[in-house]
Amino acid sequence: MQVEFVGSRWALFWLALKTGFLTVITLGIYRFWMKTRLRRWYWSAIRPGGHPMEYVGDPIEKLLGFFIAVVILTFYIGIVNLLLMFVSFSVFNSSWVGYLASFAGVIPIWFYARYRARRYVLGRTRWRGVRFGLEKGAWGYAWRALVHWAITLCTLGILWPRMTFWLEKYRTDRTFFGSARLTQGGHWTMLYRAAVPFVLSLIATGALVIWLIWIAPLFPQMEGSVDGFVAGVEGFFTEEGPAAVAASPERLLLGLLCILGLIYGAVHYRWTAKRILANHKTAPGITFHSGLNSARIAMIYVLGVLISYLVLTFSVLLVILMGAAVLGFDSFLAWFGLGSMSAVGDWPRWVAVVLMGVLYLSAFLLWGVLYNTFVTFPIMRHMALTTRLPDHHGLDHISQRARDDFAEAEGFAEALDLGAAI
Amino acid sequence: MTGGLSPRAMDATGASYFDGDVPQPRGVTLALTQGQSLLEITLDDGRVVEWPLTEVRALPDISGRAQYVLRWTGDPLARLVSPNPFLLSALPQAKRRAPPKGRGRLIKWAVAAVAAVALQIFVLVPLLADNMAKFIPIEGEKALGEATFGHIREALDDTGLTPIDVCTAEAGTAALNELVTKISGDRAFRQDVTIAVLDHEMVNAFALPGGFVVLFRGLIEAADGPDEVAAVVAHEIGHVISRDPTRHALRSAGSIGVLGLLFGDFAGGAAVLFLTERLIAAQYSQAAETAADIFAHEALEDASISPAALGRMFENLQGEHGDRSGVAAHFLTHPAMGERIRAARAAVDPDGTYFPSMPDESWAALQNICK
Repeated sequence: MQVEFVGSRWALFWLALKTGFLTVITLGIYRFWMKTRLRRWYWSAIRPGGHPMEYVGDPIEKLLGFFIAVVILTFYIGIVNLLLMFVSFSVFNSSWVGYLASFAGVIPIWFYARYRARRYVLGRTRWRGVRFGLEKGAWGYAWRALVHWAITLCTLGILWPRMTFWLEKYRTDRTFFGSARLTQGGHWTMLYRAAVPFVLSLIATGALVIWLIWIAPLFPQMEGSVDGFVAGVEGFFTEEGPAAVAASPERLLLGLLCILGLIYGAVHYRWTAKRILANHKTAPGITFHSGLNSARIAMIYVLGVLISYLVLTFSVLLVILMGAAVLGFDSFLAWFGLGSMSAVGDWPRWVAVVLMGVLYLSAFLLWGVLYNTFVTFPIMRHMALTTRLPDHHGLDHISQRARDDFAEAEGFAEALDLGAAI
Repeated sequence: MTGGLSPRAMDATGASYFDGDVPQPRGVTLALTQGQSLLEITLDDGRVVEWPLTEVRALPDISGRAQYVLRWTGDPLARLVSPNPFLLSALPQAKRRAPPKGRGRLIKWAVAAVAAVALQIFVLVPLLADNMAKFIPIEGEKALGEATFGHIREALDDTGLTPIDVCTAEAGTAALNELVTKISGDRAFRQDVTIAVLDHEMVNAFALPGGFVVLFRGLIEAADGPDEVAAVVAHEIGHVISRDPTRHALRSAGSIGVLGLLFGDFAGGAAVLFLTERLIAAQYSQAAETAADIFAHEALEDASISPAALGRMFENLQGEHGDRSGVAAHFLTHPAMGERIRAARAAVDPDGTYFPSMPDESWAALQNICK
């Protein structure tokens, strides 16, 4: 069974623009509707066997969930942060310990919220009239994720694939389609394959560092050490000091190459791991096959972000030029606090502040719209079109599952700003 | 076909029905029956489902124009997928929205959320902050003040690149320190007062935790003489002594996170900026302002400087800027300004002898502290 993908980029663009505009003029309240409508659109575009998926999430329940999360989190964030800051300043005389502790305190909630959000989205997804679902277990997920992260950090990332695998297995093994439970098969060591480009880039980076610092120093007059190298790089770019002369500085371009290699390696790992994991997921009588292409995904990211960035910059420039044309250049600059205040004239400052706010929010939302159009859309399409269900006779034995009543929807994820992804 | 009661067949090519129990598409034949008020769906296994036409809805925001997904309000699960546009046009209320459910619950939680945030920002955080301010050690208080001072300097800079400068001309700094010593007299403070001038045209002054008193260049320029600056410094020292700034900074620390939570990513940054501005504007309670004024009157009196200077400074600002807000919000937005001017005048001892707070050359040096 193939998965089809229908719907045009422009239809999505207009939907995102329309809902984004409504979000701006409602000061963000409409974002719950925006998210719901975009999800409905994307879900209905993905059509396994020609039949659309359906998203039945309700904006009102999202808003409700957000309120519930605010009620619960406001006490945690307000009071706990205040106590942490107090202790931090009283005992350590600085704010950093407080910030760090307050950040660390949010991490378990973060994992909890992610699992809850996934449960909500799956609980509101249907295909052929049958519900998906995810079993309860958000706290179990949160503490497992913490332990896995601790192990991963302690082993300098060597056991990262083990974390990827076990966390995915935890989620997949609790996922249902109707009465059928999914199972994540395979073994965690199979994910090392996905890490090959990253590891190679890492080795290349290490080799380059050794070459530039010790074997054939980039700055021969500095001593062959890390400190000498850092001082040399500083001198090279500020053109000051004795280190300004470098031996074959074009070798620094290799460093850029290494950084790009590392970034590609990270993207490759993430998506290839997804593919491998998908190919080892099963339900009774159902198998999956994914042909996700990491290079393609990387290309989508690069082009999509580039296009979005260009369009955004162009639009902002256009607004500024239009503003300058309407108001006259000097008073325009003064308005936004770039010139002297005396030139402000009769316009009260709060008008400028409000306009500035609107401009800021619009740019932010335009970015979201463009990102949806040029990154999320092509990735969703690629994911859909590369997925197949080679064996699907198990569908004959599946029946409906009960509705997952879910008071706070994805409120925690929304309140903690995790909900950026569709 | 004139009789409205006879069934009208609809083209069902490519249409499928999902019964909401099993994920199996069923082929269908479709007909409008009973005076075209009922959609009769006959499944390929012989089952017949009837949907009243007025209760059939099309799902919104479906991608692609080639297919419609229909549902009946009486069955939350069953779906009819059809590519037939004529079917859609036969539905009188296809686009009508479902009545919102759980609105009462929503309103309850909305009220609860607002109440929780209000309780947090207006009751719990202030209560906690006020108590903490009593227990924070001197060193911690100083660190808090330095951190806040850094934030304010960064926030005031329009280019956003470097924090605005602190004015450090030697003679001016000496004059200012002498003034502080004079006003302090032999009072034992919890900590030394550190005074600084920021190179900014705002007509304002504020106090920070840890004994920091900060004047803006604009305030020195707007003053008619050294006594008015002295009066403002005395007022701010009054705040330092009562630890208003410490309470204030701790309150903001507690509130920033809550506001960030409410507004999310993009407005969170704006909320933080807003709070920094509030910190500068430093709208302390009326009682705190009065207490600082009373301290200023006494300190000025003890230093043989006329307490009326504080009133003159207020008047001066009011006269210069009229009712425009924002310029010197710290002094001007206060409702009881007239009252405070009167109080400053009343604090003058009619039999007392007063001297200028500093010699002319010191005042000149102070005026040039930013050059």
